Amino acid sequence: MQPILELTNISKRFPGVQALQNVRFDVLPGEVHALIGENGAGKSTLIKIISGVYKPDEGTLRLDGQERPPFSNPREAQAAGIATIYQELSLYPELSAAENIFMGHAPRTRFGAVDWGRMRREARELLASLEIHDLDVNRKIGTLSVGNRQRIEIAKALSLNARILVMDEPTAALTEADVEQLFRIVRLLQERGVAIIYISHRLQEIFTLADRVTVLRDGEYVATRRVTETSEPELISMMVGRTVDDLFPKLPAEIGEPLLEVRDLWRRPYTLGVNLTVRAGEIVGLAGLIGSGRSELAQTIFGIMPAQSGQILIEGKPVRIRHPGDAMRLGIAYVPEERGSQGLIRQMTIRQNISLAVLRALTRGPFIDRQGEKSLAERMIDTLNIRAYSTNQIVNKLSGGNQQKVVVGKWLASQPRILIMDEPTRGIDVGAKAEVHRLMSQLAQQGMAILMISSEMPEILGMSDRVVVMREGRVVGEFSREEATQEKVATAMMSVENGASDAAELAVDGVQTGAKGR
Amino acid sequence: MSTREAQREPSEWSLTLREFFLGQEGVLVVFLVIAVVVLAFTSQNFLTSKNLLNQARLMTEVGLLALPMTYIIITGGIDLSVGSIFGFSAVMLGWLWQEQGFPLEVAIVASIVIGTLAGLFNALFIVYVRVPPIIMTLATLALYRGLAYGVSQARSARGYPEWFFRFGQEDTFGIPTQIWFFIVASIITWIVLARTPFGRGLYAIGNNVTGARFSGIPVDRYLLVIYTFSGFMAGLAGFLFTSRVSTTRADSGTGMELDVIAAVVLGGTSIMGGRGTIPGTILGLVLIQLLKNGLSLSGVKGDATIVVIGSVLILSILINNFLQRRFAQA
Repeated sequence: MQPILELTNISKRFPGVQALQNVRFDVLPGEVHALIGENGAGKSTLIKIISGVYKPDEGTLRLDGQERPPFSNPREAQAAGIATIYQELSLYPELSAAENIFMGHAPRTRFGAVDWGRMRREARELLASLEIHDLDVNRKIGTLSVGNRQRIEIAKALSLNARILVMDEPTAALTEADVEQLFRIVRLLQERGVAIIYISHRLQEIFTLADRVTVLRDGEYVATRRVTETSEPELISMMVGRTVDDLFPKLPAEIGEPLLEVRDLWRRPYTLGVNLTVRAGEIVGLAGLIGSGRSELAQTIFGIMPAQSGQILIEGKPVRIRHPGDAMRLGIAYVPEERGSQGLIRQMTIRQNISLAVLRALTRGPFIDRQGEKSLAERMIDTLNIRAYSTNQIVNKLSGGNQQKVVVGKWLASQPRILIMDEPTRGIDVGAKAEVHRLMSQLAQQGMAILMISSEMPEILGMSDRVVVMREGRVVGEFSREEATQEKVATAMMSVENGASDAAELAVDGVQTGAKGR
Repeated sequence: MSTREAQREPSEWSLTLREFFLGQEGVLVVFLVIAVVVLAFTSQNFLTSKNLLNQARLMTEVGLLALPMTYIIITGGIDLSVGSIFGFSAVMLGWLWQEQGFPLEVAIVASIVIGTLAGLFNALFIVYVRVPPIIMTLATLALYRGLAYGVSQARSARGYPEWFFRFGQEDTFGIPTQIWFFIVASIITWIVLARTPFGRGLYAIGNNVTGARFSGIPVDRYLLVIYTFSGFMAGLAGFLFTSRVSTTRADSGTGMELDVIAAVVLGGTSIMGGRGTIPGTILGLVLIQLLKNGLSLSGVKGDATIVVIGSVLILSILINNFLQRRFAQA
């Protein structure tokens, strides 16, 4: 059969990062083709190319076998019959279900006014064709459940005569009953010849629903398999199967007493009874999928979202942390995930950013000691090898790697004993990455306790003395540096039931359920 | 190895000068010079120390409000209620003294405290209930004005003793007394904004409030302080105003918030937050006051004066944007 959509040699580069490199992907009419990969593997970039949000730098696109230039905007993709349902649904909460379905292409009367009667009728017909009979098309979207909103999105796609439906993690926010109904709808669409591109982290779903699965890793194409000819362990190893090279010069450090201990820490809905210990000189890698609650845990420890219950101990003494100021006084520093919005004041200078967390200490009388501020900034520029021509340079003008170093410098200036680094090397080039890793190693050697959140498996395995895995707000696995392997960590990250202690058996279980599901 | 090129690093001083002349302040200085020269030629009474000091006297009340407004707008907020707090505390001063029989000294202090509390009330809702500043202060603009009318019952308090006029109508050390209040307040607010961790924090909040929180800046406390300070200054200005005009009426200061905001924005403070200086605000105040005065001395009618001020506001911002784009990037 001829693919309805076929992409070959797709490459896309963003500043500082090669998002996709020579990727290919195709989907047949009436097929569910799953797309999997770790965080940052390039799935989102690929679907954005398919839906016209990004234009690839290179590559060809064939629609029904006809070669055509890649879509240059979402409208072109829509006209070609491609509809995308994103994780964050893009509906108008104040409008009715029918209005949302026909947003932008409402049926008109002869005089050009919206034909409300026909719109409601057609909306009902569309929903009926999806075997949805209990949804009032006059209700405001804002009053509907997530599952129903998603059904409206699907109906909207069909009203545009979509022949290819892209679903990005459609089950992430659904209840079990909603998931079942979604699967029924997907099968219905399949029978009608709609091609479905299905992205999910839940491998079981893929074995239940998909015909084929394509794996991406680090922006590159790994393989395409029929689900009947593969297994969960094989998919996991394809997703993570990298060689951990010696890019990360982890130096041995003497591990001392616990500096940070977290006991049964709660902050709903993200942090659900977490226990965690980080010792002096130790780097603890915190692994997990996006949305597993790692950053939220860090922000709870740092006082941005203070804990509701549970205990935090610093050097064995229980402490209360109600806001970041408390955490900073206790010697905690947090290099946040979002450099631009959380880590930096981008419109301000390097000097002003580096001093921002320590201004109170940098004063002479009531005034900021400008000379001291300047020499602090100069010292950090030298220590961290920040490429800038002046301490007065606006941070926004620096490259991503140098911006990240400014954030690190800002927190090193506070001389912390406990350093939490959230995705410390995301989106920065290889050279800067190695520098950040060397620095982390050195800091650990000096006795700092480091908690490193990372979505990059080689970073987790390369840098950590211990790996802690979180899933859905809980710690679900812990591995020593020696025990930790890509397969074990990835399995703990992705499995839906049980802990990670019996991760290996679980992976085998997954295959069996998968086989039954087909 | 450091890749910094030390020899090309501009000195702190030349950098500040460059920022000054390419920034809004530089544009304002040029405007101010042009305005003074033109007005001096069109009216003989304009460039006299008597006239200028009198203008400074008239400018003080709006000026006192423009200082905290600069802080607030730098954080990305706004305080629309300052004119109403001004009127309300002035009315309270007269009422406490005349109707309630408090000693005038007590009434003065109490009226300033009331202004401060009115500011604190705004602050509490903005910080803890997270009502957007524009909504909260729009509401209290009406609320405080209503209270002023309710308390005064449309009567005005008059007949203050002679010593009371010392603050608003007489001179101290050769210049109108209330100007000293403005000078002291300007210097303090200037230094606090430019040189202290608090001032730096205000800029950080205005540029990126999340980043400021993540840096441990006590954002809530800072916002509480500036909105409360705004109320305090409105109370103080209300007192000086009462002393200047010898009477209090419930409609005093109506529409004043717009004059205040115009001066701050003309002075180069970004309404989006993150940018602005006290010297800029003072230049903005002076330019508006001189234009009003000079044009009326030259026989231009009031309506036309407002048109000129509006045009100057737009023009100065256009020029500033042009200069920023043309030079500041290089």
